[in-house]
Amino acid sequence: MFSRKAKVKQTNQTSWLTKLIPKAAEQKWSRWIGRRLPPQEKVTLSHKGIFILPSAFGIAWLALIILLYLFGTNYQNNLVIGLSLLLASVFHTCIIYSYKNLAGLTFSAVSPADAYAEQPHTFPIMLTGHANPKRPDTTHQQICMQFNGQRHIRLQHTEEQTIATVQYDNPKRGLLTPGRIKVWSHFPLGLFKAWSYVDLDLHQVVFAAPLECDIRLTSQADEDNNDISHGKIRPGVDDYTGLRSYVTGESLKQVAWKQWAQNKGMLTKEFNEPEGAPVWLSLADTQGHDLEQRLSKLSWQVNTLARKNQIFGLIIDNHTLSQSSGESHRIACQKALALYRPSFDLQSDHHLGGKNAG
Amino acid sequence: MQDNFDSIISRNTLFWLLITNVAVLSPQFEHATPWTTAICAICFVWRMGIYYGKVAAPPKLLVTSLAIGAATTLALVSSQIGLLNALINLLLLGYALKYIEMRELRDVKTVVLVGYFIIALTLLDQQAIINTVHLTLVAVINTSVLVSVYQDNRKPSANLRFSFKIMLHSLPLAIVLFVVFPRLGPLWLVPSMKSAKTGLSDEMSFGDISKLTRSDELAFRVGFENSDGSKSGPANADLYWRTLVMENYDGKTWRQHPSIKELQRQSFYQPSKRPLPNSEQLGDKQSDLQEKQLDYVVISEPSHQRWLYGLDQAFSQDNSIVELPDYTLYAMRPLDQRQSYRVVSYPNSQMDPTLTPKLRDINLTLPENANPQTWQLAQQFTQQYPQPKARINAMMNYFAEQAYYYTLSPPAIGNEQIDDFLFENRAGFCAHYASALVYLARASGIPARMVTGYQGGEYNPKAGYYSVYQYMAHAWTEVWFENEGWQRFDPTAMIAPQRILDGFDATFDSQSSYLLDRPFSPLRLKQYPWLNNIRNQIASMDYYWSVWILGFDEQRKQAVLKKLLGEVNPRNIAIAMLICITVILLFIAYFAGLFERKPKQDRQSRRYQAIVQKMMLKGAPDQAQLPPKAYAQALSARWAISAPQWLPRFHQFTAEFVALKYQPLTTEQHSQHLRRFNRLYWTLRLGLLMSKPMQ
Repeated sequence: MFSRKAKVKQTNQTSWLTKLIPKAAEQKWSRWIGRRLPPQEKVTLSHKGIFILPSAFGIAWLALIILLYLFGTNYQNNLVIGLSLLLASVFHTCIIYSYKNLAGLTFSAVSPADAYAEQPHTFPIMLTGHANPKRPDTTHQQICMQFNGQRHIRLQHTEEQTIATVQYDNPKRGLLTPGRIKVWSHFPLGLFKAWSYVDLDLHQVVFAAPLECDIRLTSQADEDNNDISHGKIRPGVDDYTGLRSYVTGESLKQVAWKQWAQNKGMLTKEFNEPEGAPVWLSLADTQGHDLEQRLSKLSWQVNTLARKNQIFGLIIDNHTLSQSSGESHRIACQKALALYRPSFDLQSDHHLGGKNAG
Repeated sequence: MQDNFDSIISRNTLFWLLITNVAVLSPQFEHATPWTTAICAICFVWRMGIYYGKVAAPPKLLVTSLAIGAATTLALVSSQIGLLNALINLLLLGYALKYIEMRELRDVKTVVLVGYFIIALTLLDQQAIINTVHLTLVAVINTSVLVSVYQDNRKPSANLRFSFKIMLHSLPLAIVLFVVFPRLGPLWLVPSMKSAKTGLSDEMSFGDISKLTRSDELAFRVGFENSDGSKSGPANADLYWRTLVMENYDGKTWRQHPSIKELQRQSFYQPSKRPLPNSEQLGDKQSDLQEKQLDYVVISEPSHQRWLYGLDQAFSQDNSIVELPDYTLYAMRPLDQRQSYRVVSYPNSQMDPTLTPKLRDINLTLPENANPQTWQLAQQFTQQYPQPKARINAMMNYFAEQAYYYTLSPPAIGNEQIDDFLFENRAGFCAHYASALVYLARASGIPARMVTGYQGGEYNPKAGYYSVYQYMAHAWTEVWFENEGWQRFDPTAMIAPQRILDGFDATFDSQSSYLLDRPFSPLRLKQYPWLNNIRNQIASMDYYWSVWILGFDEQRKQAVLKKLLGEVNPRNIAIAMLICITVILLFIAYFAGLFERKPKQDRQSRRYQAIVQKMMLKGAPDQAQLPPKAYAQALSARWAISAPQWLPRFHQFTAEFVALKYQPLTTEQHSQHLRRFNRLYWTLRLGLLMSKPMQ
């Protein structure tokens, strides 16, 4: 039901004009907008938040209207005057159309994919608008969206529900609050720019950029043994992990009968069984020339181990994430890495790391 | 860091640009010089090549050098083709060259704006209803280019439809603005077109008017606006449309006096106006000015000349019209387009009751040593009739009594024009008789002058106006008497009274005059009453168009506003505008889909839910987020024993619903499913209504 028709575009929106605006005025404006359009989970655009001003082309259009009026007056030609007034009237009509193009559009955030530092990230935003198939002209068209100072995307047209992926380039490790999304469109004739700000209260933890490295594990049971098979999970009977479709010949004991009764088809319950001793990843043991690199290496290791379904724990300074496996564990570990801020202790840690490297 | 993602021109836009180019340029074909046409054609073909991917965009150097070359050539020939024509050609070339080197969206927008301007230029000389409709369509097509930029992923037909929609929505406000917007006079002098002039010329030799009688073209139309509301004008015999007064005669050609010429040249900078006649000038009768005046609107066809038409003493309040001292009207700009102006005439008022010696001298001057026989005749008249008035009447009667003939194709004339006509040929038309009378009068010491213009008019009973055609061109005489001023004398009336009393058509067979070279003229329909009726109908439409649209001026505006608002004051206008704009806003907003409430569910889902709700009331299990098929199964489990009669129908209903909602269907399948779904819906609904609750 969703359509992904977003085209990605790169521009530098900070033109010379915006540079002229003093910082104080900008802050004042920002505060005013923040009060007028407070952050919400779901934002529907209305007259409260839609701004419309003529574009440069719109001003050229007005100049043409005046030129034609003078032309018609000098030649005493009512038809030319009529044409200029018709164009003026088109200008007026376009105000309503540009307002209509944004009005009623509802924005809500969709849970985004993992974000890694320094890698382009996209926030999927669900746009819900009215789309009457009998009146295709009344759909929302040519909607552009952009985070402040970021690349913008353009939705050629929307359906009842459309997911737009709004770009955010080069996020920093840690908690990312991209702020308001600027939404605008030049529909229908490019005479006006109608725009608004949508604050969906977006925030996302940006994981450290993964850096490929050797997996360096610390097993408490056997510190010398760095065998990767440690903590590996193999299919077993103990831990229920999920459902997958039944393959003929499998034990009927593991068939999910409840789901079968609900007419969902024959499914097999999957169980895993941990293999070998659990292992640890530790910041202290990770080498690198600075903290970010070490965190990056850990980030890569967490992902790799998680993909291999290995059970592992994470030790960052005094903070320990107990051994586990699965997606939620991976996220927990990544978040811990992402939000890690070096304290005074860490400085010494860093030295320790350095010593280890040497 | 700028890239051109937004400025890429979509294929739809390119397609519309191809259409627009032809649509905008083709109406200007008449004005384009041959090589402008050639360059435009090359640019179009090149653009076609780009569209189909056969050729690349032209190098910038080529376009630039072409542009410079074209501009230089135009500058060189501008004196030949006229400044306005040169400017039009320059604009057309600029349009074509911009069109070919278009790379970005900005260029597209420029092309669109220039396109509107070219449409406006075309409107300068194409003003009929049909042209206006055509050019409005061109404007819609031009707008489609913009629509295609901001509404892509659609078919070109959708672009055109949307463009139409926007124009249609803009029309009401445009009409309101058209009515209330101020009409100003021309603000500065603008270049005019250099076109072949039609109609009367400011020089008249004997052959000129006979040429005009071969023309069935419309010269102008007149609508009388009498104070009692009627639209009829004076009798045909009084419809002398004075256009030019000629006072200089060199033995061959009549010309306007240089002093009048000078006034005409100065007209824009020193517009001359005459004082309105006072009641003294209106003759002995102390009558009200109002009663003695004629109000009318003249809609002149483009003649590319500047003289205007009026009855007797013509006055015009129009500030683009000057009133010359010879009681004619003169336009500040050549009549390059259909133009309407208001005139007030005072038929009973005296023209120049006293004459300055200079003017008297001018109107007594004759070429020396010419036409001795005429001189002799004039001396005879002077001796016989010492009273000037009696003398002129005798001269008039002379034409009637002697054997003179009225013909549109007179025999050739020698050097002594008047002598040859009066004593040898004795056959001629208005110009001959008028010249002869002026000559005789001047030779006998009475100031006289030649007036050219049109005589008569065809009345259109549908719309109540007079059409004056070129073949009604006429020449007559004005003779000056002490204390009476200039008096009109038309010697033609003595020879062919029918020509004056009943009009040109009564005297001449149209087939041999104005229809001779025109096999398809609509005037041929005059012979067939009902076809003539249709001709009149179409002509009336064109007349109303000219009066109410082309000739909509400040006075008409006031009249319309007065009718609509009662009293015209800024407050009333503001209120009316406010109401109009609000209504129009609501109208546009409605059609733009602004009031459209999104139904929460589609019709099928609503119907499915309705049935489920009804079933639940009758004791069916709770729906609780169950998908349709699961709910059907749950119902089977509950009602298998208690109410099995419902199950097959409900299962089928569910199946149809699922098919409609989630299966990809062709339109034919869709309608089949929909039919079955709706039938099941009604049977279930009615059945549930009748049934008792079950467990």
